[in-house]
Amino acid sequence: MTVIRKICCVVHKIVKHGNGVYTLELFPEKSLPVFRPGQFLHLALDVYDPSGFWPDSRAFSIASSPQVRDKLRVSYAVKGQFTGRMERELTEGKKVWIKLPYGEFVVEGESPTALIAGGTGITPFCGFLEDLRPNQANDIYLFYGARCADLLIYRELVTKVAQSVLRFFPYYFVEIAPISTTSSNNFHPRIGLLAIEQIWSHLSNPLHTIYYLSGPPLMCQTFSTELRACQVPLDHIRIDAWE
Amino acid sequence: MSNLREKILDLVKSYYQEKFIEKKYNPETDRIHYAGRVFDEDELVNLVDSSLDFFLTSNRYAEEFEASFAEFLGISSALLVNSGSSANLVALTALTSPKLGERRLKPGDEVLTVAAGFPTTLAPIIQNHLVPVFVDVSLGDYTAIPERMIQAISPKTRAIMMAHTLGVPFDLDIVLDLVKRHNLWLVEDNCDALGSTYRDKLTGGFGHIASHSFYPAHHITMGEGGCVVTNDEFLEKIARSIRDWGRDCYCTGGENNTCGKRFSQQFGSLPYGYDHKYVYSHIGYNLKLTDMQAAIGVAQLKKLPSFIAARKNNFRFLLEMLQPYEDCLILPKALPNSDPAWFSFVITVRPDAGFTRNELTRFLEVNMIETRNLFSGNLLKHPAFENIERRVVGDLYNTDLIMNNTFFIGVYPGIKAPHIEWIASVFHRFMTGERV
Repeated sequence: MTVIRKICCVVHKIVKHGNGVYTLELFPEKSLPVFRPGQFLHLALDVYDPSGFWPDSRAFSIASSPQVRDKLRVSYAVKGQFTGRMERELTEGKKVWIKLPYGEFVVEGESPTALIAGGTGITPFCGFLEDLRPNQANDIYLFYGARCADLLIYRELVTKVAQSVLRFFPYYFVEIAPISTTSSNNFHPRIGLLAIEQIWSHLSNPLHTIYYLSGPPLMCQTFSTELRACQVPLDHIRIDAWE
Repeated sequence: MSNLREKILDLVKSYYQEKFIEKKYNPETDRIHYAGRVFDEDELVNLVDSSLDFFLTSNRYAEEFEASFAEFLGISSALLVNSGSSANLVALTALTSPKLGERRLKPGDEVLTVAAGFPTTLAPIIQNHLVPVFVDVSLGDYTAIPERMIQAISPKTRAIMMAHTLGVPFDLDIVLDLVKRHNLWLVEDNCDALGSTYRDKLTGGFGHIASHSFYPAHHITMGEGGCVVTNDEFLEKIARSIRDWGRDCYCTGGENNTCGKRFSQQFGSLPYGYDHKYVYSHIGYNLKLTDMQAAIGVAQLKKLPSFIAARKNNFRFLLEMLQPYEDCLILPKALPNSDPAWFSFVITVRPDAGFTRNELTRFLEVNMIETRNLFSGNLLKHPAFENIERRVVGDLYNTDLIMNNTFFIGVYPGIKAPHIEWIASVFHRFMTGERV
């Protein structure tokens, strides 16, 4: 892996998406090391003294482009003690420490690719999507699900990419149907959970597609099992697994 | 507290001035070493600063060194180890990892190398039950003869592991072509050659993996220390495992669950979720270094460009001064397309010179000029290596000549103009007939 760096960052902006979901924009105090789309960082809330031990931290996928070296984006949903502290303690201007890059869940896009993202599970795909070129050679599918439309927090980015990249095909899924006023003309999500039968028919060559699964463990596990049952080779299934 | 630390570090600076400040050179009493530490108060301050952390194992300085070193070389991964020899061991052993599948080196596979070199370029080949294949080297540049390398390739050849001996890059055009055509691994032993370039690219970045040494004789020092570098993240992970007891987990000291899967993976026949920190995927070693060593390295690395320039200058001056004696001495040279950051000034006494290598080196030593042989000369003549399983392609005529007739003197940055003048005068005295 690239040499791990520990960097102090200023929380520049906090976006509240509602339902305990947040996006942080961080300004690092020195240039970020090289990282690849899909990799993650560790974020610590407590003051870190570089001459001592690294404090308690949690891993977050890097949701910004590897090309951008002077700022970072991460998103999180409040689910446990650490993210609860984040919600309570983080304010714009506060300093946090990060260490990065980590992880082998790297999205390559060298073959037809299906990105399956549940909730904040979209984050490891954001850097990859942001860097897609308009003449991208392979079909890239994104199946992006969340509880409600407001929690499709990277919909704006996805829409922007879809406008410029011909071979990028996004599909949205929400569990709760959007009320008509929040639904734009171009936004028609499928209602219901992300499931294999919902995506299979959209893929031009499902057995030769590389699947990247990121989201709640149960979603990843279910998809993985179902893809295997559909004869997708094991090495075509990449999972962003977390405890 | 921080004020106290600052006071201590200020005192360290004063101590440096008192203890280490350079004295006026006296040729009668001051030996001109072939190599040595060149440092100032920065190294001493970093060392004490790190000791005050009392973290001891790799920490902030190791992190800073690895990042800066990788950046200097233009390589993605740098992994500190406790010596250049360890770097060679880790680099080659990484290529035997079962994680590489069919690409891995297996016992009995052949590795192309040379016998005119340092033992720990060769030792990892033997330690990994691989078979070294030796080719002769050219005189003057002391690198493998390209025709012999081409001739040496057999269906069993799987890797090339060689040093850029004494800073001279070997013929990378030929080597990279062989690597490509025969799908070989290339391990660059760059221990002598930090800062050397080939076709304007730094050596250490051509191979799949490369080693560096920070022993005091080398371009920068940590006392003891070395580094493995690679652009292949998978190889880096394997190398890290081999360095760190063979464990699968990559958390550093004091870290836990960096991967986020500490208790949720299946390894071998262990119970599911066995603590990843104690899962071993390789037969490894512990070859890590301390943060105090890295702290010295951080200060040294900042001086590296000036060190390289000084080595090149010293080399140039010595070459100029010794050129009149070329009828007796084979003087060092680089291969086309290369620009060495010279490790030393290497000389071979021509067989018909009318004097021996030992007569010359004795004269130099008596006159306070330190000399060294080209490491082992011919490694195959040493007790440890005499009976190893090997293949030799052609003869090792030049290697034997090196064993008998070659030596080197220093070009390191501690050598200044007055030293060079003294060296020139001593050579002149010898070449005009004076003997001890």
